[in-house]
Amino acid sequence: MINSQELMMAKRLRLAGILLIIGLLVEAFSLLWNHPLSFIAFTSVGLFLLFCGVVVYLFSLLQYRAAEERTVVEDHTNV
Amino acid sequence: MPTAAVFVLLAVTIGIIVIVVAKPEITMARGGKILAFIGLFIFPGFVALLGFDNHVERSKKTTFCLSCHIMGPYGKSLYVDDPSYIPAAHFQNGRVPRDEACYTCHTDYTIYYGGIRAKMRGLHHIYVQYLGKPNNPIHLYSPYNNRECLHCHEGSRSFEQGAVHTADPQTMVDIKSNKLSCLSSGCHDTVHNIPKLNQVKYWEPPK
Repeated sequence: MINSQELMMAKRLRLAGILLIIGLLVEAFSLLWNHPLSFIAFTSVGLFLLFCGVVVYLFSLLQYRAAEERTVVEDHTNV
Repeated sequence: MPTAAVFVLLAVTIGIIVIVVAKPEITMARGGKILAFIGLFIFPGFVALLGFDNHVERSKKTTFCLSCHIMGPYGKSLYVDDPSYIPAAHFQNGRVPRDEACYTCHTDYTIYYGGIRAKMRGLHHIYVQYLGKPNNPIHLYSPYNNRECLHCHEGSRSFEQGAVHTADPQTMVDIKSNKLSCLSSGCHDTVHNIPKLNQVKYWEPPK
């Protein structure tokens, strides 16, 4: 059975994945064009999206871990 | 790393991310967690670094510099059929790599190389090109430094033993210390010479 933490984790993973895919696509398109503007697009849009995607992913790991620890503590308390 | 290899890595990374996004429940298992960590953290970071490196390498290309409209005449000047035109003589005789001609002689003039000031200037050039009004004609921020010539010519026989260079012992000292400019001291003073470009013949490279 999937609990709410896992649902939230899945949502955040999806968000991180989508941000990363868009960032990687921006990088791919920027590499097809040898022009100063493609560098600007890569650094301002592509790298920003990649950074956001990685941060969302790492944040989701931290949140999941914290929620897991809370659950363990609550289980011990109930016992 | 070649651009094709970066594209392969990009495709692999996107593939892994698509798997994680489509089936996030796989991350409940240990293998899925590792796959997600690789696909959502390790590979994107690595691919971003490779992409940045690739952009830096491409910025050295002559086509990169000439992609801005204002640089067009400077690119044209490389084909002037007159050996007194220093950049043209270097470009046509392979004294500088043709695909990195601008970068070879203007190493302090890009976004990526040189000090912080050079990088800010590079960004300023992009800003002025698209959002401002570029100077017409454009000019160097500071007089051309002999260092750029000496990268290659220092130690070469024709430079070190050239009649004019050795006529007075002080001449060589002044050239090497940038006190006597190679370009503006009346010796090698025909450079891009943009105003005269419509009065010269052009070299056509063999196909």
